Amino acid sequence: MHDGHSANGHDAASVSRGLLDRHRAAPIARRIAALTAGVLFLLGIAGFVIKLLDKGTSDPSAWGYYAALVSFLLTAAGGAVMVAIATRLAKAHWRRPISRASEMFAVVTLYTFALLIPLLFALPSLSDHRRSLWFFGELNVPGYMPHIMTTLSFFFLALAGLALLWMSALPDLASLRDSSWGLTGLFNRLSNTWQGTSRQWFVQYHRLGILGALYFMMLVTTHFLFSMDFAMALVPGWIDALFPATHAHNSLHAGAALMLVTMFVLRRFGGYGDYIGLDQFWGLGKLMFALSLLWFWFWFSSFIIFWYGAKPNEQAVLELLMVGPYLPIFMAAFILNFLVPLFTMIWNPLRKSVWGPTIIACGVLLGTFFDRVRLYAASWSVAAADDKHTLREVPAAIMPDVADVMMWVGGLAGAVLVYILAARVIPIISVWEQKELLLYRMHKPFHRLAEVLVLGKKD
Amino acid sequence: MQEHVQLDQKQINKELLNGVLQMPKWWPGATAVVLVIFIVGLCAFGYMLNKGVGVTGLNRPVYWGFFMVNFVFWIGISHAGIMISAILRLTQAEWRRPVTRAAEVLTVFSLMAALMAAPLVHVGRPWRADLWVFPYDFARGVWINIRSPFIWDPSAVMTYLTASTLFVLVALLPDLAIIRDRSKGFTRVAYSVMCLGWRGTPRQWKLQAVAGILLSALVLPVFVSVHSIVSWDFAVQIGPEAWHSTIFAPYFIIGAIHSGVSAVATVMVLMVWLWGWKNYITPDHLDAIGRLLIIVATTWFFFFFLEWVFALYSLEAPELAMRDLQVFQWPWSGLFVLFLLTAFFIPVPMWLFRNLRRSLWAMFISTILVNVGMWLERFLIIIPGTMRRGHMIFDWGSYHPSLIEILMVAMTFAWVILGMLLFSKVFPLIPLFDIKEAMVGRDEIKVGRKTVPASIRE
Amino acid sequence: MSQRSVIGLFTDEDAAADALDTVRSAGFEQSEYEILTGTPYPEGAFGEEEPVHKLYRFPLIGAACGFIVGLLLTAGTQLAFPLVAGGKPLLSIPPMAIIMYEGTMLGAILFTVFGIVFESRLPRLFMGAYDTRITEGYIGLAITTSEDKTGRAEETLKGAGALEVKRGWES
Repeated sequence: MHDGHSANGHDAASVSRGLLDRHRAAPIARRIAALTAGVLFLLGIAGFVIKLLDKGTSDPSAWGYYAALVSFLLTAAGGAVMVAIATRLAKAHWRRPISRASEMFAVVTLYTFALLIPLLFALPSLSDHRRSLWFFGELNVPGYMPHIMTTLSFFFLALAGLALLWMSALPDLASLRDSSWGLTGLFNRLSNTWQGTSRQWFVQYHRLGILGALYFMMLVTTHFLFSMDFAMALVPGWIDALFPATHAHNSLHAGAALMLVTMFVLRRFGGYGDYIGLDQFWGLGKLMFALSLLWFWFWFSSFIIFWYGAKPNEQAVLELLMVGPYLPIFMAAFILNFLVPLFTMIWNPLRKSVWGPTIIACGVLLGTFFDRVRLYAASWSVAAADDKHTLREVPAAIMPDVADVMMWVGGLAGAVLVYILAARVIPIISVWEQKELLLYRMHKPFHRLAEVLVLGKKD
Repeated sequence: MQEHVQLDQKQINKELLNGVLQMPKWWPGATAVVLVIFIVGLCAFGYMLNKGVGVTGLNRPVYWGFFMVNFVFWIGISHAGIMISAILRLTQAEWRRPVTRAAEVLTVFSLMAALMAAPLVHVGRPWRADLWVFPYDFARGVWINIRSPFIWDPSAVMTYLTASTLFVLVALLPDLAIIRDRSKGFTRVAYSVMCLGWRGTPRQWKLQAVAGILLSALVLPVFVSVHSIVSWDFAVQIGPEAWHSTIFAPYFIIGAIHSGVSAVATVMVLMVWLWGWKNYITPDHLDAIGRLLIIVATTWFFFFFLEWVFALYSLEAPELAMRDLQVFQWPWSGLFVLFLLTAFFIPVPMWLFRNLRRSLWAMFISTILVNVGMWLERFLIIIPGTMRRGHMIFDWGSYHPSLIEILMVAMTFAWVILGMLLFSKVFPLIPLFDIKEAMVGRDEIKVGRKTVPASIRE
Repeated sequence: MSQRSVIGLFTDEDAAADALDTVRSAGFEQSEYEILTGTPYPEGAFGEEEPVHKLYRFPLIGAACGFIVGLLLTAGTQLAFPLVAGGKPLLSIPPMAIIMYEGTMLGAILFTVFGIVFESRLPRLFMGAYDTRITEGYIGLAITTSEDKTGRAEETLKGAGALEVKRGWES
């Protein structure tokens, strides 16, 4: 039997001190990044104003790229939080250095919620006779049911994410409260009465589990509603029962990719190389690879039904979303989300590296971006029609204008900005989870092996 | 708190080979009973071959009946082995160790039962299967139609059967050597041949470990493809409205995992009761599989929800009529309620309680219920689906299974139980080397006054 | 010259590891000695050399073969019997992809299993020196060497503290 705490020769206090010191430091690179993101965000706002003045909100086809932006942020940032939730549920020790960085994406979801609000004005009401999840016409529901339900769902998703982030950060916020760094009033308020009693720790794990489950349910619900009402319902004859699940899967996929890129940035530029190492890239890289294979499966499961059934409405949907005007962009998504990971991540040397999964993750994020554009730009370009059973005429591809590009750049920059600002307040590495690891991890000799890793399992 | 029982290798050999090296008292009787059921089923099959499929309850338009329900059901159960074995192996979950072999063997015999149910029995003239499955018939230049799902299906099922059989056999090698070392005479010769001269060198152990990972990674994509393709047997058709849905592949897969993992939990309980392996399958293992089942069942329910939402979303009259038949018309309405209760609403709340998850009886009953429910689920997809009342359908009818069909369904259940029993008499149902490896790598870490179990990670 | 093998039995892992050092220092080559255990130990636990294998090549070769067979089968049958069925054109890629996928996976799995057996150096027709107690926890240190060195191997194993030393024919 071994004493995990002392056998490692590590000191919890030094871990705590080291991480909190690093949190307090404000490197110039971070300031420059925040400033640049801020400027680009202003550019995005300018793009939004131009678009609004130029096109108004009556023509949905003008807002397809903006819808794609909201969808992309929901997909990537919303899914990134799941990395912490899933790995904590699986009791994987390698999650510890990255769980906070993952939960921190909840602030980006809140930001995405803010971006959703203008989009609600461009989304047509149900009174245009389109097919609806809400049985408008059959049941006595308001025409703005999609707007109401998606907003509520999005809001509760952001709320669940923030609650998770806050609860998870509670012990670290208390450490900051007790240090003399400043912002004491804020940390006092945020850390509430956390003292680290046995009961508080007992409750901590339970509430993280419950909030994680709640977040996951809200994520799935939000993807269900958003993919239905902001994409599928706009296209007559598009009946794909799998699409909401595909949308949610894409979120987990892009979320894993986003976390890999974030980890790389934290390791390379954030000074956390001694915490975020190969274990994390390997663990998450495998997960992303598995999700890339599932990307194909989800896509093919829908595609083969439409291709084989070949009913007029199914052929029209395939034409609109895949083989017609958006074929090049669909192919780009297919290659980056599936083919590239398949043919690269099977190689051990690449999979077991820091740079390999990161590069593939960049590709996956780009692929997800293309995928969202082809889905949303296409569906928002369909004009309202009385026939809700079949799309009679496939519209030409909508090309982004300058305002769209500005909104995309500014929208993404805004996400980066809120993330950096949140990381200024909340430590990006979970200090208490790192300290807890010291209790459950040790190295020891094993017969002729100088050192083996022994990992304990929490109840 | 995890319970650990330290066992030495000699004791492990003795306890886990008790079914192979000795004859459990219950074994001959149990085997004889299932053998009789199996033979009676075979007789019914012979009778059907002689008289034709008219002796079944199949008719126009209900051309898929008990046989196809059974086919999908057994394909579903067969997903147990790979789910437990491969996924838990890849994720290095320690609790997989006593469960993997039984799960894999269940896969193999379930797949054989599935093949028995559909291509052998259902087609009525099984000797003609070669004409539509295999690339044969050179003489007339008539070749199989690979654009038909009925070609995809055999290719996937046969690949899965080959893969899962090899998966079991590769992992058996070290255990066969253990039996060889404990037997004499002809038995020793037989096991010597079967274990290929295994000695336990570091090279052989390393290859065994790599094989576990590599084969798991290769079998998993096959596992996903098999039930997807089975679902496409239904879903690519545009005839029965309720079947032509994109959700079918994931819905079938997750349903298969739900029923398969439940079946594994049932087998785990039986292993404790019949062979007395309570030192190996502990309440911790049941607790772990119970937690897994909560996630699986909830995911399954989500896909079930999606399937229904989109059936209503379509607002197509024939689709709505079919759903009305499924839910509101007797006897399907009663079966529908029973299906929901047994597949989800009774077992899942039970698994939420830790005490029930750790109870042999509660897990046994809840997992049996799941499989009753999942059998009904397939029944409710297939029968009301085919007896739809759409336009241009001139044959309306219902379906009543004949005694012959019931006997043949019983035959497939008897086959799986018989297979498991025969396997357990020749091979160990718990992988001994895996259990021993856990003992070698087991450690403890003291955290203050508390000791937590730990294991060595390479 | 025929080979003969000798095995020494140990119950303690460290004793077996020490014996391996002794055997090495007695001048026996890496190809001549082997540790035998009834359970997998972490690699290098006895100070043995890390086994090198090329198993990862097998599934790739198998997958390529399976893919080609799948392609020939699906394309060949359609071209040999060019009948449009169900409105699906000849050489339809989606259904071909399904069968080619199964072929690829089947090829990869068959070759992997073949590779596992081959790389494990199985089947082994002659067991050589062996003891059935290895599968109940004893650790064996087997030396397979030319007949004239057998005596020295026995002495070395005894000197290294083996509980028992046995001989067995190799080939």
